[in-house]
Amino acid sequence: MNADADRLRIEHFSKRFGSTLVLDDVSMRIEPGEIRALVGQNGSGKSTLIKLLAGYHTPERGGRLGIDGQEVTLPVRPDRIRDLGVTFVHQDLGLVDHLSASENINVGWEDPSRILRRLDRRQEERVARRALDVLGADIDPTVPVVHLSAEARTTVAIARALRAQSEGAGLIVLDEPTRALTHDSAQSLYAILRRAADSGTSIMVVAHSLAEVLAISDRVTVLRDGRVVGDGLMTGELSEQGLARHVLGRDLDETAIASERPAQSAHVTVHGLAVGASGRMDISISQGEVVGVTGRQGSGWEAVPYLVTGALPARTGVLEVGPNRIDLHRANVRSLLRLGVVLVPERRDVHGLATGLSVAENISLPRLSARGRPWFSGLKWQRDEAADVVTRLGVRPPDPAMPVGQLSGGNQQKVLFGKWMLGEPAFLVLHEPTQGVDLAARRDLLGAVVAAAGDGTSVLMASSDVNDLSAVCHRVLVVRDGTVVDELVQPDPDEIVDAVFEGMPQMGRTA
Amino acid sequence: MSTTENRVDAEAAAATPRRSFNGGADVATFAVRHHKGPWRSAEDVSHRLAVVGLWILMFFFFAAIEPSKMLQTSAIKSIFDSQEPLVFLSMAALATLSVGEFDLSVASVLGLCAVALPILVDSHGMNVVLAIFITLGIGVAAGAFNAFVTVVVGVDGFIVTLGSGTMLLGIASWISGDETVSGLPNGLTNAANTQLLGLPLTFFYGVVIALIFAYISSFTPLGRRMTFVGANREVARLAGVRVARIRFCSYIVGSTIAALGGILLVASLGGFQSSSATIYLLPAISAVFLGTAVIQPGRFNAIGGLIGVYFLATGILGLQLLGLGGWIQNVFYGAALVVAVAVSTLVRRRRGR
Repeated sequence: MNADADRLRIEHFSKRFGSTLVLDDVSMRIEPGEIRALVGQNGSGKSTLIKLLAGYHTPERGGRLGIDGQEVTLPVRPDRIRDLGVTFVHQDLGLVDHLSASENINVGWEDPSRILRRLDRRQEERVARRALDVLGADIDPTVPVVHLSAEARTTVAIARALRAQSEGAGLIVLDEPTRALTHDSAQSLYAILRRAADSGTSIMVVAHSLAEVLAISDRVTVLRDGRVVGDGLMTGELSEQGLARHVLGRDLDETAIASERPAQSAHVTVHGLAVGASGRMDISISQGEVVGVTGRQGSGWEAVPYLVTGALPARTGVLEVGPNRIDLHRANVRSLLRLGVVLVPERRDVHGLATGLSVAENISLPRLSARGRPWFSGLKWQRDEAADVVTRLGVRPPDPAMPVGQLSGGNQQKVLFGKWMLGEPAFLVLHEPTQGVDLAARRDLLGAVVAAAGDGTSVLMASSDVNDLSAVCHRVLVVRDGTVVDELVQPDPDEIVDAVFEGMPQMGRTA
Repeated sequence: MSTTENRVDAEAAAATPRRSFNGGADVATFAVRHHKGPWRSAEDVSHRLAVVGLWILMFFFFAAIEPSKMLQTSAIKSIFDSQEPLVFLSMAALATLSVGEFDLSVASVLGLCAVALPILVDSHGMNVVLAIFITLGIGVAAGAFNAFVTVVVGVDGFIVTLGSGTMLLGIASWISGDETVSGLPNGLTNAANTQLLGLPLTFFYGVVIALIFAYISSFTPLGRRMTFVGANREVARLAGVRVARIRFCSYIVGSTIAALGGILLVASLGGFQSSSATIYLLPAISAVFLGTAVIQPGRFNAIGGLIGVYFLATGILGLQLLGLGGWIQNVFYGAALVVAVAVSTLVRRRRGR
């Protein structure tokens, strides 16, 4: 092995789908022990590039690929690239839920000469424990992964990828590893990746959050419209603004989107909401006000959106919307919907939208009774609603009949927003509304939140994204142990971070 | 995914001043593809009707080989006139499948009802109308039982109905003494067998029930909610849909349709032996899965199911006219089920489920 060679060398990769050139002459190099971020908007070609590497697609003629100085024949053969030490951690992690961490880490590494003999469970567990130790993770390898936290599951997936590497060699490619993680777990994931990189393994990571990219990586490669517009940019010399400029090809309008803070007169109030083991929260929101809720992972704020909308049963708590008063212990989604309480959940593909059904069907679902008749649901209003959402939020492609699952994440989120906002909700509750969406979509979505508030809706936005909170919230409530410990009025992102991590030992934004 | 265009469009959309959501009053001017409804292109139409095309091809294939037999009116009639139990069972299976449940007991309900009616009327001398209502009640009760164990207790419906189906068939063979039971009044038989346009009334009953089903699932709020319960229960619940109620009722409706099918079946045959009910289950389910490749690809739909039934009937008839024995039914129906489920899975995957 040539120690001086680049770990990964991609030269002139192009890919055409039909008449569209989705990847246009992409070249990049990654050094041993480097963490390289790959950024770009949805559709910029990031996933295509990774799929070419994984051997899922065939690149156009003229491309070359080298790993540790060895030429790899194209198209890539998946087993060949694995033998060369390149492993992939996909968005869904690819873990088998009911199998233990150890079994997941060892899958595919059973000794072929012993295929019919009893598996050596102890030996496997030793291997798994060693792989987890390298990552500094305290996870019991015998526990089924379904019982592990999102963070631990991600760690297991990375450990499995590391299992394939010889010490200090290889390349791990991660596609949005922090997607399922909160701010805090993302921090520890960065530490884990850094540990792997320090041992000499190279990392290539696809990420949406630019703050995350700056925190996590040594260098960044920026793709725009299938072309490399910035290669190997040192993150130490970049600001988030500067990186955003590369990604968008223009200045990011980072001025606060928030409108003027409306007069304080409680329109929606939550009294004595039991949160977590011992917490108790009171929240009051005026008409047209956007209130943010945030905190450290596991401090209880993540459950608030589901508790106040009836999606999860609350132990105690009372919700008042205008003149109506509801016991949240007994409430269900139906009864709260009738009062105009709507939830935009975090997991759009699991709780938000039926991905196999069309955009139009998903959008009109909540208003079938209100706008249709029992014996005929009506067609025109459904078409109009879909057209309305598609146009105002800029859903691409603008096709209401398309199955939601075929849209990009950002466009799915727009459909989800539209589905709930068309009902002119009295109380709009959002959880991580811009997770996993690109910058342009993020701005459209936050704009829609502000627009809803402008129409008099009271908005509760639970988010771990301090930039989002700062951009649209009139007030931000900081939660610790299920209790509001701080209230910030139109804070900037740093203030929120300080308040959230106040009193915590050395847990800044960059781990 | 034309990325350049997307980005430019997104920029343009972001640049235009945003209007607030006011319920969608003025949207006529926007360049959204409304005109492209579900049947948007020749390619799309050909996807939706591929099975119909295959059906016609198959018919002409057999007609070319055995023109003297296949092209006779009696042959064509026989495709359409004896599928009533399959059509009803398909619709019964559809009721649960379209909300994400699976009822394997429908054929047994059909068999139980087909023997219960003549027993009530003939052996107990009961009034026919009353006997029909009691027989339908048996269907409702069977559905309610399945629904209770599945939805309320929370057991996998596939297993529950596998068990209850066997149980109901056992009861049917017990009450009928394992013999063919008959003895229905002529009026009832006429209601099933009277010819209209050369086909028995049961054919038209089947078409009507499929049309009602198709209308409900495509054009009513109930049907849309059922579709969402089938596609993603949690999304449905969070949109205020009464998921448990819809699941519960789907079992009852399915079993009741099966009961109705059983009543019409014994009326048209004059008598019934309970054990012969089992032969209907597999083809009915095959037809429903085959139907997911037609009209509304990737979805269980009634018209597709109806076409599936006649598709299979044509295949069986053709193969039998070629001189193949009765064994071909099992081979063909079994193969059709595997192929149909495979196709249905592939279509769904293509649609990004």
